[in-house]
Formats: sequence, C-alpha cells, structure tokens
Amino acid sequence: MEFLLSGQLLVAALIIGSIYGLVALGLNLIYGTMRLLNIAHGDLVMIGAYTGYWLFTLAAISPVLAMLAAGALAGLTGAALYFGLFRRQLAGSQPIERIEANSLLIFFGISIVIQNLTALAFTASPRTYQALDTLVRIGEVSIAQSRLVALAVCLGLSAAIVLFLRFSALGLSIRALIQHRTASRIVGIDVDRVQAFTFVLGFALAGLAGTLIGVTEQISPFMGFPFTIVAFVVIVLGGLGNLAGGIAAGMVLGLIETYGVALTSANLRSVLIYGVFILVLVLRPEGLLQKRRLT
Amino acid sequence: MRFATPRETVPLLLVAAIAAILPLLGSDYYLGVGFALFGWIALAQSWTIVSGLAGYISLGHVVFAGIGGYVLVLTWGAVPVWAGAVLGALAAGLFALLVGLPVLRVRGPYFVILTFGLAEFAKYVVINIENALGRFGRLILGGPPVETLYWAMAAAALAGTLAVIVTRRVRLGAGLAAVREDELAAETIGVPTVRFKLLAFALSAVLPGFVGALFVLRTGYFEPAQAFDPVISFTIVTMAIIGGSEDARGPVFGALFLVVLSELLWSNFPQVYMIILGALLIGFVLFAPNGVAGLLDRRRPSGGARAAA
Repeated sequence: MEFLLSGQLLVAALIIGSIYGLVALGLNLIYGTMRLLNIAHGDLVMIGAYTGYWLFTLAAISPVLAMLAAGALAGLTGAALYFGLFRRQLAGSQPIERIEANSLLIFFGISIVIQNLTALAFTASPRTYQALDTLVRIGEVSIAQSRLVALAVCLGLSAAIVLFLRFSALGLSIRALIQHRTASRIVGIDVDRVQAFTFVLGFALAGLAGTLIGVTEQISPFMGFPFTIVAFVVIVLGGLGNLAGGIAAGMVLGLIETYGVALTSANLRSVLIYGVFILVLVLRPEGLLQKRRLT
Repeated sequence: MRFATPRETVPLLLVAAIAAILPLLGSDYYLGVGFALFGWIALAQSWTIVSGLAGYISLGHVVFAGIGGYVLVLTWGAVPVWAGAVLGALAAGLFALLVGLPVLRVRGPYFVILTFGLAEFAKYVVINIENALGRFGRLILGGPPVETLYWAMAAAALAGTLAVIVTRRVRLGAGLAAVREDELAAETIGVPTVRFKLLAFALSAVLPGFVGALFVLRTGYFEPAQAFDPVISFTIVTMAIIGGSEDARGPVFGALFLVVLSELLWSNFPQVYMIILGALLIGFVLFAPNGVAGLLDRRRPSGGARAAA
C-alpha cells in the first residue's frame, strides 16, 4: 500500500502519460484533418526506436540528437506516403466513408510492409540498449535520466504544438480543417498544402516519440501496434481534434496503466490497455471531453 | 427460385473440383496444401458475409478461429473429437452474438479498429488464463488422420461458399447490402438493421470457429499467441480484397492465389511473403477495389457489375 502512495509511481505514470499524449497528438492531427485513421502510426514509433538504437550503437549519438533524425526519417516517410498514395485518394470524388474505409486498409498494408521490412533488415529479435541511464534523485524519487528527458521533451513539444495551433496562421488553418473541410476550402485555405504539412508533422512526432520510447522499452519490429491502440484510446477519450484534451487523456491513461499494473501484475498490462480501449469505444465512441460537433 | 448464375456456380464447382483432384495426386503434401487452401476459403467466405456484404470491415476475424481452437483443446478427451470441433464453432458463434450487440453499434473506422483490438484483447485474456493454469502450450495427441481433416475442411470451404451464395439470395443479403450502401436510409425504410447485422456477424463467426478447431487438430498443438495471431486476420482480409468481396468467387480466387504464393515463399522467405501481401492489399484497394472478380466482370460488361469508381 505504501508503494502505491509513493511519488515514484506517480512520476512513472506522468512520464508514460506524457509519452502517450505526444504519440496520440500525431494520430489526432492526421485523423482530425483528413479522416485518415493511420493504423501504421505505431510503426513510426518503431522506426524512431530503431533509429535511436542504431545511431547510439554505431555512432554513440545521444538519443537527444537521434530523436531529431528519427523525426526527420518518419516525416520523410510521411511525405512519401502522402504524395505517393493519399493525396490522390483525398482529392478524388469518392464519398468520405469510402475514403476512410480504403485508407484504413491501405494503412493496414503499409503497417505489415514496414514491420516485415524491418524484420528482414534487422531480424525479429528484440533489442535493448543503455543510454542516459544515470539515476537522477529529486527528493525521494529517483528517475533514470532518459525518462526525465522523455518527460521534458513530450510536455514541451505538446505545449509548443498547442500554442502553434492556437497562434500561427498555419496552425489555425489546421484547426479550421479539423472543424470543417469544405468551409476551409471556401475561405481560401490551401487544403492540399495544409494536409501535406499535417501528415508529415504527425509522422514526425510519432518517430520522435519512438526514440524516447526505445531508450526505456524493448525494441522489436512488431512493437508498434499497442501504441496505435493507446493513441487511439487517447484521442477518443480526449475528443477528436481536441489536442489539449488529448494530452490530459494521455495522462489519465498513463495513470490507469501504471496503477492498474501495480495493483495486479505486469502480465495484465495488455489486457488492461485493450480492455480500456474496448470500453471507451463501446461506451463513449464520441469521446469523453468532446464538444458537440456542429454538422 | 432463380437459376444459378456463373458467379454462383464457378466458385462451387472450383472448390468441388479441387477437392476431388488433390487426393488423386497421392501425396500427403498435396493434402496438406489442400487443407490450408480450404481453411482459408472458409475463413475468407465467412469474412465476406459481414465485411463484404454488410460493409463492416473486420480486422480481427482470427478471434473466432482462436476461440474454436481453444474450445477444442479445453474439451479434448472429455467429448469426441468432432463434438469438440462443433462446440468450438458454436462457442465462436455465441461469442459473436454476445459481443455483437455493443460492438456493431460502433460504426465506420471505429468499428474496424475495434475488431482488431477485440481480437488482441481475447488473445491476451487467453494467454493470462493459460499462464494462471500453468499451461504453456497444449499438445493434442491422436487426432484424426490428414485425409479425414482434408475432407472436413473441404466441406467447410463448400459450406462457406454456399453460405455467401445463399445469404446474397435471401432477404438478409438484400438488407445487408442496404446497410452497406446507407445504414440510416435502410433503417428508415424498415430494414431491421440491428438484427440483420447481428445475424451476419454470428454467421461469419461459426465457420471460423470450426476451422480454428481443425487447424489445432492438424498441428496437434495449441498456443494462444499462434491461435490468435493477427497475421491470420490480415491474410483473410487480403485474400478477400484481392479476390473481390462482392460475391462468393472472390474468396476462392484470393485464397487460391495466396496459398500458391505462400507455398513458394513462406517457408524460406516469410518476411518477403508478408511484404508482397501488404503491397498487394494496397495495390488492389487503390486500383482494383472489386478484386480479381471485379476485373473479370469489367472485361465482360454484360456481367452487369458496378463499375469501379
């Protein structure tokens, strides 16, 4: 019981929550603006984790720098996919339901391709590495440096993006697209440009978060899907297109997971996450913090 | 009663002909390939009922096969083998009925990802149950010989093909098509959408439960991560999309194509096989959304197929 009340567990929950919030932010941006549900989102996390692993193992480059490279790599992947596959889909005259269903299947295919290309290149066996592992003591709580960096980067970046969406012209266009696509076009927003930017940004965020995740968790080609699920839970909890709500929801999920596992057993972590996922979707598919949408 | 059209006779005859010919080749290898082929046909046909006809795309159909296999090993020794397989099928159908009501209320992309999550959830629950029981994989010794399993699976493939053909002909099929095109409109004109969707979901679960039980009998082994492997769901979807999920021809074409490809590549280059599968899925969704069957119809416009948009 004393263990449950310790600051250690609370800090761990906040760190996991902030990571979930950042991973979900990317998915939320892409789904909000384009209604494309990227099932491969977690695979970008995986790519980011491998980027951090190889840069550290081969060139001793710190994850703090490697995460920028990972973001760039994931962003480039996003650009290739947007201009190669999805731009044509979105510009077509098909009804939105058709585009949603098709893009889900396409992302499913992309996910399988990315996972197996990675397995082909680096084998399927899990890897770990030790970087930024000095323990930092804050009061009675001791945390590995890597987790502290993750917390700072995730919170800082999430806040920066919320500000960017609130105050910059491009950010405001993104929010306009989330609210109403057709109306955005009518008021003169360059929809194609905003979509391309959002797509690349969403991918880059996942890749960047992936490097931070890879420092503390096992890296394998098939590690990604749980992160897609987590991100999805977060955006449903926080509300579609509601980015600040998403960050709060990430924290909530981090708390549920950390305390749930502490109270039961680590084996039940997946059951817990998928259980929350199913409950949220079945009970409140429109989101907990969602403002009623005008249609 | 309408006469059978080619899109009904072709898949039935194809399955029957393959079932008759393979044993004549006189080797267990071909029986094994046929067993896998018929298993995939039965799975893909079942998937077509809910995902092709009603448009509720399931990315988690493996859950029904997993349940079937699990029920078989749980009842192993307590009931006769075939009763175990039938119980597996019934359990899968019952599971679909129970979860169907809440799950089928969720629509569009939310439903799609929910099915995947549901299958993963079931997988981890079974893994935890088995761990708690101290069982790490269960062996099944003395199951039926490969010929028997072959004919049982051939029957399952025929049953699945027939199920799609019959469903398309009766009121249920018309109702599901209405749900797929516009669920709200269907509801407004009095289609019992909830009942029809639930019925389709249960129908699409029963046969996979049976197939899952047969898979376990064939390998002689049950391991949750393998029985609930999401790759199985992915393969089902890819087969149905490649073949075309409009009618009963698609799953047969798709399964034939992928089983041949898998025989060539799976044992030596499993990752290359999966990459090709992923690329095929993307390619067909983009360029031939009605699959091989749709391409065939397009060559003969008299077939009256809807033009791909």
